[in-house]
Amino acid sequence: MGAKDIKPTRSELIELKKKIKLSQSGHKLLKMKRDGLILEFFDILSKAKDVRSELDKAYEVANKKIGIANAVDGIITVKSTAFALQDIPQIELESRNIMGVVVPKIESSSVRKSIEERGYGILGTSSYTDEAADAYEILVENIIVAAEIETTMKKLLDDIEKTKRRVNALEFKVIPEMQESMNFITLRLEEMERENTFRLKKIKG
Amino acid sequence: MELAVVGRSEFVTGFRLAGIKKIFEVNNHVELEPTVKKVLEDRDIGILVLHGDDLSKLPEMLRNTINESVEPTVVTLGGSGQSSNLREKIKQSVGVDLWK
Repeated sequence: MGAKDIKPTRSELIELKKKIKLSQSGHKLLKMKRDGLILEFFDILSKAKDVRSELDKAYEVANKKIGIANAVDGIITVKSTAFALQDIPQIELESRNIMGVVVPKIESSSVRKSIEERGYGILGTSSYTDEAADAYEILVENIIVAAEIETTMKKLLDDIEKTKRRVNALEFKVIPEMQESMNFITLRLEEMERENTFRLKKIKG
Repeated sequence: MELAVVGRSEFVTGFRLAGIKKIFEVNNHVELEPTVKKVLEDRDIGILVLHGDDLSKLPEMLRNTINESVEPTVVTLGGSGQSSNLREKIKQSVGVDLWK
């Protein structure tokens, strides 16, 4: 809205004043939301870093263990053992609300199982396969935790960006433009007032 | 919901040992793209596990979809894909590289 497109009337001025007040309170609120989101983000960030490094470590360990199992028992044996497993780890996705951002909360049924619960014969396989299964169960648990935290972070970041844009737009574009228009109207009204007085004086004279 | 794993046979075997059933073995990168797309459309899958190298083989568009997808959430292992993605996103949103 350019300053020249508006009608310099008193009602327009009152309207603009109202709008500016509203925008300013909106700006203040959004700024608080942005700061709150960033604080929340810092909390999650340190968690995410820990979870990532743990996940990478767990993957490395699991990879090594399955390598050994493959070497000792043979790839085919390990594979056929893997196919015998029955219990599927189930996950539940719930949602949580952080300052208007809906983030997932992932709950899982227990992934860790004892050897008897796994469902393959203990005699047919070596302890290396058991160890590999153990390591992968730990890895899956870590993956579930990482998935929750990393998604939360992605969503928070998206919202931080959106809020930041809004705050900046209000601060540097919307409010200054309205203030400019308001100044224009005030000046114009004063000018009209002066013109009127002059006209009256002329008629009188 | 369930977990799903997409990758080469040596990558997925271990996950079978952990009890995951939705395993998609992909042995060449031609099959990779349609498989990943299929998994992304499956409403019963909550988390998709991919190898970092496989992720980098996917076309840019699909990678962006994966990075933004929440349901299913995609977790990558190995390679340096995921953390650098998040790092870029943090830089873009906050303005400072906080992932150190």
